[in-house]
Amino acid sequence: MMTDVRESRLLVTSDTHVGNLFCDARRGLIRFLDYARANHYNVCINGDGIDVQYTTLKKFTVETAALVRELRRITDDITVYYTIGNHDIILEHYVGDWGGLRLVPFLNVTSGARRIRVEHGHLYDPSLMTHPDLHHGIRRFFALLCRMYPPGYHWHANYQIVRYRYLRRLLGQDRQWLDSPTTRDQSPSFVEAAEELSQRGFDDVIFGHTHYAGMVPLNGNRARYFNTGSWFGQPYYIAINDGNVELKPWPQGAGH
Amino acid sequence: MAPKYLDERKYNTGEIVFSEGDASAEMFIVLEGNVGIVKKVAGREIFLAAQGRGDFFGEMAVLDSQPRTATCFAIVPTTLVAIRSGELLMKLRRDPTFALEMLQQMGRRISYLEHELAKVMEHELASRQEMAKIVAKSEYAAGDRRP
Repeated sequence: MMTDVRESRLLVTSDTHVGNLFCDARRGLIRFLDYARANHYNVCINGDGIDVQYTTLKKFTVETAALVRELRRITDDITVYYTIGNHDIILEHYVGDWGGLRLVPFLNVTSGARRIRVEHGHLYDPSLMTHPDLHHGIRRFFALLCRMYPPGYHWHANYQIVRYRYLRRLLGQDRQWLDSPTTRDQSPSFVEAAEELSQRGFDDVIFGHTHYAGMVPLNGNRARYFNTGSWFGQPYYIAINDGNVELKPWPQGAGH
Repeated sequence: MAPKYLDERKYNTGEIVFSEGDASAEMFIVLEGNVGIVKKVAGREIFLAAQGRGDFFGEMAVLDSQPRTATCFAIVPTTLVAIRSGELLMKLRRDPTFALEMLQQMGRRISYLEHELAKVMEHELASRQEMAKIVAKSEYAAGDRRP
């Protein structure tokens, strides 16, 4: 398992959830991979690229078959790294190199003079780590509700934003970084985890998992935490060009 | 900046981080800069390795309470994070993939050492074969001279 790589041009996105009953990102992801290939970028799908938890066998088979065909086609020209998340944790059994597709638990990228950590981030989710059974039970119940009433997912997403922007402030748990427009939706647990990782000599730490895209400066601007959000709403990606790391929105409409 | 539970230490060029034979219970992660590892063999200092940003070293002192087996010095101005045994356990809880990265680096070091050992053994085998040839030749020559 090769987790230390050197890349001058790399695109990172996450949480495309191909196969998920409420996410239709397959076509968008294929376009994204085509864009990367045409522009000579390697790609990292940073976890939850496919979703084996909230799917049906029929939907999963149809969606992933098209993605696998695309991956087979493009990996002749570019390398695709796939870091494993929690919705595709079954892929841990396939960790290793599969031609141009490399399945890894995380990626330490050296680009230009910068060291960049790319990891899905589910290991730092307190609810997933401390009460995994309860977490999965709630998620299953929630998935059932969303299946009966699909707009429920967006209600949940809006609730999370309200929670991070306003409720924490009301409860006196606010932090300075929550006031920054690019950082206010980021959960403190993940920011702390990114801070911990940055203290091992990483300039940038990239997570997915939370479904909220953004950037938080760490350690007095010595490092940065990025999150690429999810493809349930506006998709985001990170472009790395010789150590220059930028969070960008993937054009609306291209993602779906 | 190191986490509150870890020490961040700065070293100037050439400054010794630890010396061979020192008793210690700390390992280090290179936050900035480079360090060199040297070892005394038959009175001569042999340069073993250089460690750069993100690398760690000195873990045997934490894992196995062994005295330092080599000397470490800063090649350029360097910042290190020092981790003692109790802090290592805390670090592993807060940063669980660190354990996997330690295993990866230690695996790479074992591979390197096996490669070096094979080279030494190959060299020694060749020396022995050469010696055996010389001995055989001298015995043959001695035999020729026998009455």
